[in-house]
Amino acid sequence: MAANTSLPNLAAPPPPEGTSRRSFLRASAAVASGLAAMAASLAPLRELSDLGSVEEFLQNHYKELTPVEMEQALARIRREVEKQYGLRPHVRDLRPMDGVEFVYCLNLTRCIGCRKCVHACVAENNQSRSPEIQYIRVLKMPNGTFDMEKGDHHYATPTVPEKGFFYMPVQCHQCKNPPCVKVCPVDATWQESDGITVIDYDWCIGCRYCEAACPYFARRFNFAEPKIPKEQINPDMAYLGNRPRHKGVMEKCHFCIQRTRAGKYPACLEVCPTGARKFGNILDPASEVSQILRHKRVFVLKEEVGTLPRFFYYFDV
Amino acid sequence: MTRSMKNFLSFLGRCGQLACEGDWRYYAWTGALFALCLVGLNAYARQFAHGLAVTGMTDQVAWGVYIANFTFLVGVAAAAVMLVIPVYIYKNEELHDLVIFGELLAIAAILMCLAFVMVDLGRPDRFWHMIPGIGKFNFPGSLLSWDVIVLNGYLALNIYVCAYLLYCRYAKQPPNKWLYLPPIFIGIVWAISIHTVTAFLYVGLGGRPFWNSAIIGPRFLASAFTAGPALIILALQIVRRITARAADETPSATDANAQSMRPASVVDLALLGKFLPEFDSVSDEARQHLLASGTVLEVPTAHTFLRQGTRGEGAYFVLNGRVAVNREDSGRLRTVRTLGPGEQFGEISALNGTPRTATAVAEEPSRVLRVPAEALRQLMKTPELERVIRARMHDRLMISDRALLTLRHIVQVAMIINVFLLGNEVFKEFYTGNLHVSSATYLYFGLHGHHALVPWIWTAIACNLTALVLLLLPITTSLKWLDVACVLAIVGIWIEKGMGLVIPGFIPSPLGEIVEYSPTWNETLVCFGIWAFGLLIYTVLLRVAVPILQGRFTRAT
Repeated sequence: MAANTSLPNLAAPPPPEGTSRRSFLRASAAVASGLAAMAASLAPLRELSDLGSVEEFLQNHYKELTPVEMEQALARIRREVEKQYGLRPHVRDLRPMDGVEFVYCLNLTRCIGCRKCVHACVAENNQSRSPEIQYIRVLKMPNGTFDMEKGDHHYATPTVPEKGFFYMPVQCHQCKNPPCVKVCPVDATWQESDGITVIDYDWCIGCRYCEAACPYFARRFNFAEPKIPKEQINPDMAYLGNRPRHKGVMEKCHFCIQRTRAGKYPACLEVCPTGARKFGNILDPASEVSQILRHKRVFVLKEEVGTLPRFFYYFDV
Repeated sequence: MTRSMKNFLSFLGRCGQLACEGDWRYYAWTGALFALCLVGLNAYARQFAHGLAVTGMTDQVAWGVYIANFTFLVGVAAAAVMLVIPVYIYKNEELHDLVIFGELLAIAAILMCLAFVMVDLGRPDRFWHMIPGIGKFNFPGSLLSWDVIVLNGYLALNIYVCAYLLYCRYAKQPPNKWLYLPPIFIGIVWAISIHTVTAFLYVGLGGRPFWNSAIIGPRFLASAFTAGPALIILALQIVRRITARAADETPSATDANAQSMRPASVVDLALLGKFLPEFDSVSDEARQHLLASGTVLEVPTAHTFLRQGTRGEGAYFVLNGRVAVNREDSGRLRTVRTLGPGEQFGEISALNGTPRTATAVAEEPSRVLRVPAEALRQLMKTPELERVIRARMHDRLMISDRALLTLRHIVQVAMIINVFLLGNEVFKEFYTGNLHVSSATYLYFGLHGHHALVPWIWTAIACNLTALVLLLLPITTSLKWLDVACVLAIVGIWIEKGMGLVIPGFIPSPLGEIVEYSPTWNETLVCFGIWAFGLLIYTVLLRVAVPILQGRFTRAT
């Protein structure tokens, strides 16, 4: 390291008193030009498009918000969405219901890999169209193996389903033992009582540790400010769900919290043309998912990692 | 309390002033570093405005060269402990004065670490969410929150120890060991903890088999204890070179050249007592002995009292004027200390009967008291005086060849362990050959036609092995070859535990997808900026510390 080319002439005598005025002027000139150069180097900040509001900056963690503060936060989000997208959204803070634990089951025999779930998810959850963010990844897998390195992530849809392949959609598994929650340094992501792992988009610092921790590639980061055409905005929003995000924070599948906590099915399930997707309350023994878990041969992805997913795969035969 | 506070503040003020002074080389170097900092700042401003999209990172490869540099630099910071342990546990005298260089390097390295973490954040404006008590801190759950605590704690420990010891040197007061030894010993454990915690950041992720290996922690420590001391070896030689001049023929030392020589008188002892208050507690018997055997010399500028390597007996106390203690290493001469009234020299060889460790030359016309070894022993029976003399025996900024060779031993052993542990990992990965070997295959040989990291890792392995062989050969007892080995080790380890550890952990992705990573220009410029920032900090710290350690910059001057 050439760090120390700086130490010559240590014995130099201090300058005589008479020069102090001149050296003061010289020092001030040096400091002034240094500051000016620093200001000039910060010029790209002028291109900053989305200066967050002071209100957002000072807002407390979701779990610490009083009802009044929550109302203020929702009002702020309404204002911001209206300003940015020109429509007044319906934003709610939906809480988990008692006696409910959501579970997803996916029938690999039925899935044809059409990716309609992916598109429905993007539309429902106000995901960025540029750069593209999608919560669901569909793998085209050759029959006879579960080695995902053999899977094709970028197959073309018009030809599906192709003979000799099966299709495996992967999204957030809403683990019971979620590694992403454990690693978050600021508690910006947590598991709710209905089993959904959520993110407080206003609290996340964007370190992407959760993304590194997730064994299912379920988390997405906003590398740039998300772009969504105004006419494609879904105005039915939830605080922990599909409200628009800003750059620099994480997001992920939340089982369509804005729908499922209001008694509807997730968007991916509703759009599925083959009925491969099943969703429901595992605490209700009569629910469809309870039936499937009881009677089908189900499995979870990467069981050895110990994450205990709430997302199950099964085959009909 | 307020007075010592005021003294300390004036110390800081004067240090600040000193940091702004230097010759044209100092201004050129710091100016260039500052310019590079601004280039980095400019690149960061662009990233701040447009998001991390201006980097090469993706959802698949979520961390890149920022976190790679962070990981490497935590190791550099931790390595300061490799100077502390020999000195404070094994009482190594050669390294005594060099500890502070390691700790100052640790300060610079931690500041760089914090900068690398900050630039990696998507929302740096929310960093306050990480402050315990104000934000919401996921402790002890998240290893990242552990890292926040250990890194900032380590920074505080090192700033405290450096500031305290330097201030004591500056104020010419012996440091109180209760005030600096506890933090130094805590620092030893703490240094190991910062790198272990950083390793656990990776090790704790069950979904990333490449990192989920118990050996990463020991590997991190071994590579840190190789690269860190290697960096310190290079830095010390630069300090040595800059503070040195070519060794010229100094006239042979003999006190017969003195202008006048006379027996010591009561007046001389009173004068010594004025500058050295502890002298007052000396017993009458020892005083009598001193009066009978002491000699007072009046010498002109450039008079040489004693010469490094020669034998001689007797120690000297300065009564008046200024004496420089110079040391010759590798054909270059450096002032390791300058002494004013009340300070002693020559006592080490007088007490031990060993050759002179340095050359002492009068910097201005001076008057000194020469004390034979026997009389010095008498004096040191006074506990107060003994304490002061013993404390000052180490107040010399020696960067001896022997000290550098001690560091070479550390680098040597650490490098052997580092390569051994790497070999263990490679064996486990490839011999088992299960699906989890994918990342390692990608790193070393490429996977499914993707091999961006292959040239890098083999460069690293070549560097590490060459460095290892060089370090094992006696050839590296020559500093030139030692430098080559150190540079190779640093480059090799930077690649191996930076890019070679962070990136392949993400490739292939957990769903088997291969997305490669390479840093963008903007990202690279940010890195350059942070490195320049770190070097600037280290330069300024050394600019202040070296004159203090040499005794040229004190409260009196």
